[in-house]
Amino acid sequence: MPASSLSSGRVRLDLLDPVEVSKLGGIEVTTQGVVEGFLAGLHRSPRRGFSAEFAEHRMYQPGDDVRHVDWKILGRNDRLYVKQFEEETNLRAMVVCDASRSMAWTGSPGTVLPKLAYAQRLIAALSLILLRQRDATGLITFDDDIRTVLPPRVRLSHWRQLLETLGSLEAGQGTAAEPALRRVVQQLRRRGLVVFVSDLLLDRALALKALRFLRHRGHQVIVLHLMDPAEAALAGPAEARFEDPETGAAVVLRPRDWAGAYRETVRSVVAEWRLACRRHGIAYHHITTDTPYGMVLRGALSTASRAA
Amino acid sequence: MIEFLHPWALAGLTCAAIPVLLHLLARREPPTVEFPAVRYLIATTQEHLHRLKLQNLLLLAVRTLLIIAIILAAAGPTVARSGLPNHAPGALALIVDNSPSSGVVLGGSPRLASLQNAARAVLARATPDDAVWLITADGIPRRGDADALRSRLDALPVSSYRLDLGSALGVAIGALSTDPRPGEVVLLSDLQASAVSPADVTVPLIVGRPDDPTVANVGIGRLETGPQPWSTDGGRITVSLVGDSVRAAPVSARLGERPARQALASGGTAVFPPITAPAGWWSATAELDPDEFRLDDRRLGAVRVAPVARVNWDSASRYVAAACEVLESNHRIVRGNEITVGRLAPRGSIVMPPADPAGIGALNRALAARGVTWSFGAPVASPAATDSGALTGRFRVRRRYALESSGSGRTGVLATVGGSPWLARSGNVLLIGSRLDPEWTDLPVSAGFMPFMDALLNRLARGEVAISEGTPGDPVALPDLVTSVRQGEREWKVEGGGLFRPHDVGIYFLVAGEDTIGAVSANLDPRESRLGRATDVQVRQLWKGARIMPVDRAGPAAFSAGVRGDLRGPLLWLALALGLTEMVLASAVRRRSP
Repeated sequence: MPASSLSSGRVRLDLLDPVEVSKLGGIEVTTQGVVEGFLAGLHRSPRRGFSAEFAEHRMYQPGDDVRHVDWKILGRNDRLYVKQFEEETNLRAMVVCDASRSMAWTGSPGTVLPKLAYAQRLIAALSLILLRQRDATGLITFDDDIRTVLPPRVRLSHWRQLLETLGSLEAGQGTAAEPALRRVVQQLRRRGLVVFVSDLLLDRALALKALRFLRHRGHQVIVLHLMDPAEAALAGPAEARFEDPETGAAVVLRPRDWAGAYRETVRSVVAEWRLACRRHGIAYHHITTDTPYGMVLRGALSTASRAA
Repeated sequence: MIEFLHPWALAGLTCAAIPVLLHLLARREPPTVEFPAVRYLIATTQEHLHRLKLQNLLLLAVRTLLIIAIILAAAGPTVARSGLPNHAPGALALIVDNSPSSGVVLGGSPRLASLQNAARAVLARATPDDAVWLITADGIPRRGDADALRSRLDALPVSSYRLDLGSALGVAIGALSTDPRPGEVVLLSDLQASAVSPADVTVPLIVGRPDDPTVANVGIGRLETGPQPWSTDGGRITVSLVGDSVRAAPVSARLGERPARQALASGGTAVFPPITAPAGWWSATAELDPDEFRLDDRRLGAVRVAPVARVNWDSASRYVAAACEVLESNHRIVRGNEITVGRLAPRGSIVMPPADPAGIGALNRALAARGVTWSFGAPVASPAATDSGALTGRFRVRRRYALESSGSGRTGVLATVGGSPWLARSGNVLLIGSRLDPEWTDLPVSAGFMPFMDALLNRLARGEVAISEGTPGDPVALPDLVTSVRQGEREWKVEGGGLFRPHDVGIYFLVAGEDTIGAVSANLDPRESRLGRATDVQVRQLWKGARIMPVDRAGPAAFSAGVRGDLRGPLLWLALALGLTEMVLASAVRRRSP
């Protein structure tokens, strides 16, 4: 089934399971479908977003941010309308993508995309939306070093270049986020948007320090914390030796005995990240890789709109 | 103190290692799973590791204790309930060792006094529902109520009887076996090492023994008076010392009430110079200076003093003549007609079979005419050995005539060969089944020939028998002719050939009619002089399950061994509780697993 027909038909790719979407074609096709679906959800108004200049009203659709509901209309007509705003194109965005070895992992091959594959499609979709909004968009990928740097460009054709870079992206070994985040400063001379896509299995203190630095420079920062569902809920054989592919660190335990505590630990880690990010004005989104792209994009772009 | 009914089951305690072994064996290498979020796992485990370790250790401990409790219950532990004011009805055999060694005086009182006090404490715990036996050195179990036994106990003297403790335990257990109540033996003794012998202890046994150190003792172990009878020229007395520390000690010896002679027993032996005395029966007494144990400082012996026999012998009988000549030269006999050797004479005669078998008939007729109840029977050509005895020892007899009695039974038999009479006496005539010649017997060429001839001429031919030794309480075989036994003014009518038990230390004269024909000197068993005590380890090895304690603690412990608390029930309840705890704990661990 072609992505165009999907996107133009009743099916919205942005709300489908990412694995199902990935089966429809390459990144380009599927991402376009996702974006089309996503934008269709936004009343087919690719040139309208959630910027500061009001444009018009439209009917409320499920998934819309309730903050944009026009309460006056609701009060007068007892109908739900959301306000739409004119886009602005002066936003410069840099997407920083973690391509460490841990990102290539999935707990359920075939049923859940690896984090990196998910990140590739998510970044492609996000870039496309941003570019269509005439926001200059760039890309930095890193593992234990900075791998690629694509400066932000506003041309729509720049998306192809982004796709090529994303398509050729392969998982490296370690994770060195701080240099990559600091590199953003060279690419964004003015205030802009930084989207950090990672599984955050890295040195938290260093990463936070770099993110704070970006905030200090006036950038709006969005952290998309990718997590495989199998990382969120521990499972496995009766007893196993769990080994970190990046560091080689290992621990032997019975998953059944530790599942509860592990769940609490993950919840705690997420909460700590969320708290640390909120404390410094950083938007944080915890995303499991079975989440439809549309939901992720909506959250990310609502943050981006505030940054614009 | 905990004891076990089935101690072999304790070997199962090694099973307590099973949980640990299972844990170790189960620690195989698990499969490796690639997992990027290991840091979260490490954080999780570090947070809960202490609690998990504690829970697992607790589970391990509970499981190990569960196994231990079950194994211990299988071993049947029992615990003494000593000190309880009341006890269930039981049967108790109380052995009080009043053997001679209990006469040791320590701190001004004999050892027996402390044993009696402990025995009174045992009896004080007895109730009318209990069955109690009292066993003393005489070895007789006496059953009675506590009052009766207490009276007997109060009057209990130091006995001359030696008490073999293993035998006494056997008697006690035998007595208890007749009673259905739980049995128990309380043994109060100085635990003299030589008196401790093996016993099959099938009932609880409490052994009360002194806990003070034993005293070193020296006593007289043997009094030898040499060949009997002594001639009027006198004889020698030899005294041997025995004890824990035999050393040089002054010893005195006397005959009857005659003045004592002194000698120094160096190397444990004292030999007195010849002592002379008029003819007759004498008691010889040897004495040591008194020490803590007085009873073995004095020893008695019997001495017969008589003129040497006047003997007429036939020079044609080569070996008899040679022996008589030697005895004559040593003043053990003189020539005369009191006793004739080799043929039947009007006075005392020692008759041997004639060299010519044709003469047997005439000899038997002459013996019968003389009123002799023994005669020579058929010749026996099969070689045999004499049965060992004090008179002859063992030597080979090649030829002999069977001795046949025409009287009642075998009265007068002095020596036998293969159970058949070989030397017999009737009146003042002695019959020997063989000629005293190497062709008939090895006796003439053996070392025992001279003592044999001496005894034959000086004692047997005169109607006298050996002077023997014995210990109080032990049976002594009486010669055939004995009709009574006398000690001082006391006299016991006896049957010749039977047994006689001297009741105390002393000289017992054997009487046949009106004639004294022998004596038995009864003295303490020399082993009583060795006061060394058996160790607790030795006692436990010989008497399985014995509870050994100081004698003053035996009283309170009595009637508790038979009613020991059985710990199997509590242990099984404990095992059940541990099992439930394990189930609860394991499920809680699983439920609350992190």
